[in-house]
Amino acid sequence: MSVSRPGKSSSIAQTPAGSITSPQAQARIRRRQQVNRLFAFLTFTPVFLALSLLTVLFFDVLTDSVSWQIVEPRNSGQSFALSQAFGSRAVIRLELLAQGKTSEEIEAFFADAEALRKFKARNRVELMWYTADGPFRWIVSNSRDKRISDIGLFEGWGQRQELLASLKEGQSLYLNPWFDFSFFTKNASRTPIMAGLSSAFFGTLWVIGLVILISLPLGVGGALYLEEYAPDNRWTRLLEVNLRNLAGVPSIVYGILGLSVFVRLLNIGPTVLAAAATLSLLILPVIVMASREAIRAVPTSLRLASYGLGATKWQTVSKVVLPNAVSGIVTGVILAVARAIGETAPLLLVGAAAFVPYSPNSPLSKYTVLPIQIYSWVSENDAEFKHVASAGIIVLLIVLLVLYGFAFVIRRRFRRNW
Amino acid sequence: MTQTLAKDHQTIRTQAVAAEQAAIGLADFNLWYEDFQALHNVSLSFPKYQVTALIGASGCGKSTLLRSINRMNDLVPTVRVSGGVHYEGVDLYDPTVDPVEVRRRIGMVFQKPNPFPKSIYDNVAFGPRIKGYKGDMDALVEKSLRSAALWDEVKDKLKQSGLSLSGGQQQRLCIARAMATDPDVILMDEPTSALDPIATDRIEQLINEIKDNYTVIIVTHNMQQAGRVSDRTAFMHLGVLVEEGPTDQIFTNPKHQMTERYISGHFG
Repeated sequence: MSVSRPGKSSSIAQTPAGSITSPQAQARIRRRQQVNRLFAFLTFTPVFLALSLLTVLFFDVLTDSVSWQIVEPRNSGQSFALSQAFGSRAVIRLELLAQGKTSEEIEAFFADAEALRKFKARNRVELMWYTADGPFRWIVSNSRDKRISDIGLFEGWGQRQELLASLKEGQSLYLNPWFDFSFFTKNASRTPIMAGLSSAFFGTLWVIGLVILISLPLGVGGALYLEEYAPDNRWTRLLEVNLRNLAGVPSIVYGILGLSVFVRLLNIGPTVLAAAATLSLLILPVIVMASREAIRAVPTSLRLASYGLGATKWQTVSKVVLPNAVSGIVTGVILAVARAIGETAPLLLVGAAAFVPYSPNSPLSKYTVLPIQIYSWVSENDAEFKHVASAGIIVLLIVLLVLYGFAFVIRRRFRRNW
Repeated sequence: MTQTLAKDHQTIRTQAVAAEQAAIGLADFNLWYEDFQALHNVSLSFPKYQVTALIGASGCGKSTLLRSINRMNDLVPTVRVSGGVHYEGVDLYDPTVDPVEVRRRIGMVFQKPNPFPKSIYDNVAFGPRIKGYKGDMDALVEKSLRSAALWDEVKDKLKQSGLSLSGGQQQRLCIARAMATDPDVILMDEPTSALDPIATDRIEQLINEIKDNYTVIIVTHNMQQAGRVSDRTAFMHLGVLVEEGPTDQIFTNPKHQMTERYISGHFG
């Protein structure tokens, strides 16, 4: 295919480049395209991984927050008495009778020491009975209904026919949504079906509200000082470096600081205020850095225009710089606050309680927050708390999603085209 | 540039401005950015209600000179100056003079149109508001926009963003904004270098219209523009004021060889 052109030596005409459609060239093109495809694939992999893991998380949490339950309206009621005297044979006999066992069966049960041991106390109001035919049955006393058994969403769907067939007189099978409206109105409880996150939700609102009140003026003020007022010298640069490092300090360290300074030294105690102060310290470096970026992004030409019109430094900062940096600042603050909402470790140190059955009503109240409530549910023994924890995680994710959405809207709303 | 220029070069002046005509006068003005001296002993008077053009190659110090007049160079921390800038019998660099007050009397228009990302109305009202203007703001905004020959184009959309205007309109908005603070002097730093020829023509017409009420000092790269709009021209080179005089004189009969070479396009 190679064509030697007049005036060119044949050695040039036969250089390896040859015609752009020659087999060598095509092989080269193929190799190049392969490499390109490989890199495109490699860059896509982490995105794909992240998306699939996120899907798994959502799927897992959502399905865990629903379970099948066999429920019996509370009329047999005897099981409630177990709360006072579990382990007593008389009570067990009563319970077995209530479940419709014949007296022969009951005698056989007591005769078998092995079977007896399968009665296990889970806590003061529950008994769990392992049986040969089912996984196990719950006897849970509760203000309204008796919950006979609790089965996962998919497992229960698979066994639906058998479960329906096994229903006794007065019992019913239904899908229990652990995440419902009452979940927001119920307080912490030792009984899964009674447990809600009202106190944790309002605890989080209190803490985060105070965090914003404390960290917003401090953070934006610090950023303004560093960007607009601070002289460019060794100390300022040292401050900047340290700011970056502070943003990377593990949150537990801030917990220790909060414990020794706010809780003990200032004697605020394990209160909402101490938590808010600790979390504010934690996110201040992030807010300062985000605000500085936003302030720095305001074009110099706007500052010059303002100065050129005879504005003072403060007028320029307050009327030109800040209004144009507000979207960046608010976005940064929201992202930092979202981090604070999810923080658990420092709050464990400064004294968030795992069990708070009421919402805080002042900055000096005791409190708990969503992640700590979820943590305490996850660490419960009772399998039903798994559903409660999932419902709590859904609430936490929704709160974060709302905040991120808010940041997105603000960014869109205040977007500038310089 | 084959020719170097002595730093103690005596400025060639044709028909020097009489002291009583001068709105602003620089006397032996020197300016340093850290160790670099950007202006050498510049002495120059700008006559009232006339347009003076500053021309010269890039980096010759003409923008620095312009910014020295309303003390915008104060915003650069490393700047030092010596000598004086006289305005209404006051040395603007006197320690008792507040640069904010200077800038309220000497307005400035920048190279790239820089309206605030606010409404057209708020852009014009910005200067009066920060001065605490108590009068009829609507009337002042209208007057300023009319002076900048922009009113007819924007009167129905005063609430729209200043950034929604075309580049030429934005620059006239900036001129209106500068005039709203009621300055005596307007400094223009290459006001048309970012604009197309039609918008440039509008701005040049505007400069001709406003010089009855304002003393205008304009930095320009465009020698035709200097010829079209200015009454007097000053040529600078490497921080030295080489020659100044009536524009016709400078363009038709330059005294200094550098001026002639620059005007005829040999460098710059």
